[in-house]
Amino acid sequence: MSKHPNILFINTDQHSWNALSAYGNPHLHTPNIDRLHRNGTSFSKSYCSDPVCAAARSSWATGLYTSETGVPFNGGHLHPEIPDLGQLLNANGYKAFHCGKWHVPGRNVRESFETLYYGQRDIGAGGAAYYDSASTHAVANFLTTYDADEPFYLQIGYIDPHDVCEYLHNHEEKCIPNPVEQGIVSEDALPPLPENFNYDERETVLHRVCRRVDDALIHAPILKAVRRWDELQWRYLIWNYYRFIEKVDAEIGRVLALLQQTSLHENTLIIFSADHGEACGSHQMFQKFTLYEESVRVPFIVACLGDGVWVEKNWFDETHFVSGVDVFPTVCDYAGVEAPEGLQGMSVRPLAEGKEIPWREAAYIESNYWGRAIITDRYKYVTEYQPKAVEDFLPPGPDAEQLGVSQLFDRHEDPWETVNLAGEAAYNETIKACREKLLAQEAELHRRRIVHPNPQRVISNWGERLRAYWKHGR
Amino acid sequence: MNDNNGLHWSFDYNYGAQRTETGPDFAHELIKTLRGHYTESGVSQTGAERTTTQVYNVLPNFWRGYRRGDEQDALLRIGAAVIERRKSNDDIWEYSVRYQNTTSGEDMRLAFCCGDEYYRPLKGEWLVEARNSGNDAYSELTYDGYLTSSAEIRLRINSTEIVAGTVNSSVPMTCNWALFDVIPPLAQTIQKSDDGVNIALLDDLAQLRPKNRLGFLESIQTPIPLDGYYLYGVGSLPSYWWLDAHGDIAIVSSTFETLVLKEKTGDSS
Repeated sequence: MSKHPNILFINTDQHSWNALSAYGNPHLHTPNIDRLHRNGTSFSKSYCSDPVCAAARSSWATGLYTSETGVPFNGGHLHPEIPDLGQLLNANGYKAFHCGKWHVPGRNVRESFETLYYGQRDIGAGGAAYYDSASTHAVANFLTTYDADEPFYLQIGYIDPHDVCEYLHNHEEKCIPNPVEQGIVSEDALPPLPENFNYDERETVLHRVCRRVDDALIHAPILKAVRRWDELQWRYLIWNYYRFIEKVDAEIGRVLALLQQTSLHENTLIIFSADHGEACGSHQMFQKFTLYEESVRVPFIVACLGDGVWVEKNWFDETHFVSGVDVFPTVCDYAGVEAPEGLQGMSVRPLAEGKEIPWREAAYIESNYWGRAIITDRYKYVTEYQPKAVEDFLPPGPDAEQLGVSQLFDRHEDPWETVNLAGEAAYNETIKACREKLLAQEAELHRRRIVHPNPQRVISNWGERLRAYWKHGR
Repeated sequence: MNDNNGLHWSFDYNYGAQRTETGPDFAHELIKTLRGHYTESGVSQTGAERTTTQVYNVLPNFWRGYRRGDEQDALLRIGAAVIERRKSNDDIWEYSVRYQNTTSGEDMRLAFCCGDEYYRPLKGEWLVEARNSGNDAYSELTYDGYLTSSAEIRLRINSTEIVAGTVNSSVPMTCNWALFDVIPPLAQTIQKSDDGVNIALLDDLAQLRPKNRLGFLESIQTPIPLDGYYLYGVGSLPSYWWLDAHGDIAIVSSTFETLVLKEKTGDSS
């Protein structure tokens, strides 16, 4: 048996933390991810680094936040000088493999990993129906034939439940009848509307311009469509979302079943997480790109089906804030590989082993280049940087003078984030404390100027729209 | 119906980003494919052949992320599904299915047997061969499977055997590719049932989906007279199956792809 374990990083796409039956959700069945929970530690306070695919994945690959990676949105470009996990592991005694979705623009996955499967057309953002089953085939072949001396690191990027995006696109310009009236599904079978379907409209300008206004920067045609939806259509969206999750759970089930039947299972560490969540009707919103819990909070499980890697099993860690930037240093820790200096992430290995160590007091999240959030035990503070008058393409922060509209939610009294407390004088000190945490966190970052023309173009275009809104209120 | 072309919403993808002035036209491709089957030499029913074959073109439902094939006259064709079946002398249907997808790069061949019953229950052993044409380490995978006497589904992959699920004997189980033969004879039963009929599926002979419901959706006249059925259940999204007057499934639409009947040979009657 190798000194260091094999490491399997299984990730799903657009999978909210609460969309698992092991976590108490009665509206779907995820027996296979539940199995991971039973065989490991689930981190309840787990947050993505940035709630959109490419950005979050750039953090997985580097252990850095997205103002550092060069990928602050899907159109970003990873700075070429930043090493990725595959490069590091391959140089330090591991064989690093990739299968399925990668979506880190600017980095050729085939140059950093040996790819088991990456599609005939390189896999982009979506398409689970095309790719996920083939990914399982590739992994099945790998697990049942692997006989190299070196331990392996294998990351499996499943795409579902991201295909819910296509469900939503399907409604653009298209009138799809109410599924209950069509007799496809009974109303009783549909999950209820989320408790935060109605929301406090005092949101950041960034959020309004990106997601709420008629000509929203992100998915305006879907926004136009869902405004026509009745309650049943929203509930049917949730129902569909859960079916996509059940699909990917079944794929994971085949991988786990095979792993269990090989000698590899004893000494294989499994990390399970998702790049970001899905709003699924919360705050009358869809997809990701927001700093609300449904969009930013994701499952994070560290497990082992055997006894070769010690982890606390069937355990919820409800104390520690875990982030997408922690995947990189966690893998390094288990692999016995020294992580590069300057990483923002921390290894969760001691936590999974039940040890008490100094840990961060808050989660930090970036969104849509200018958006920021700090989450503490009690509060969530959301704010935004105003676009600079002259854009220099250095991601903003830490500069309190540039901050715009704020949102503050009391996580104990208002876990559904329905009342923005930021305007109430009684919370001025709380806001101030959260803001200090935010700026202190940002002072630790090694922000890099965006130099690639593609993300520069996005920043310029979005910045122009934001400046107009700040100036004219529309 | 949607306003732009009269196609049913369940297979109309001629909208939004999919519809451009210069890009491929989903509705045109779908109708052209169907026309090839229904008005030209697509239907060939001699009654003499023991094997019946249906060929479906696979169209992408969305402009994003697909890689089209090489045929210039079929811009949206991203693959094909070929379903062959023949009835052996002992009332067993022998199936041979090939599914190619130019986007995933996978070419799958499935061989299995079903009983000569409405629900086409899986019998004996089955075999799946998958090949990947992408430039990756995974080039091919073969697995076989069988149903044990205790109703376990077992799969063997490179000498490793796993249990893929246990069948509930009260619900008939078949392969998803046999649904093309299950829906036609059950059509009237489904239409008369308020709740549809329950069925278990072994998708691609590997993934058990134990709880699914087949129900009647509606009848339409465009692009040809068709009766629509839906299929949904735990672990699967609704898909829509459209049955023509000849007893053939003409269109199947699921999340990312639509299968359109291109040709048929033989006679399954």
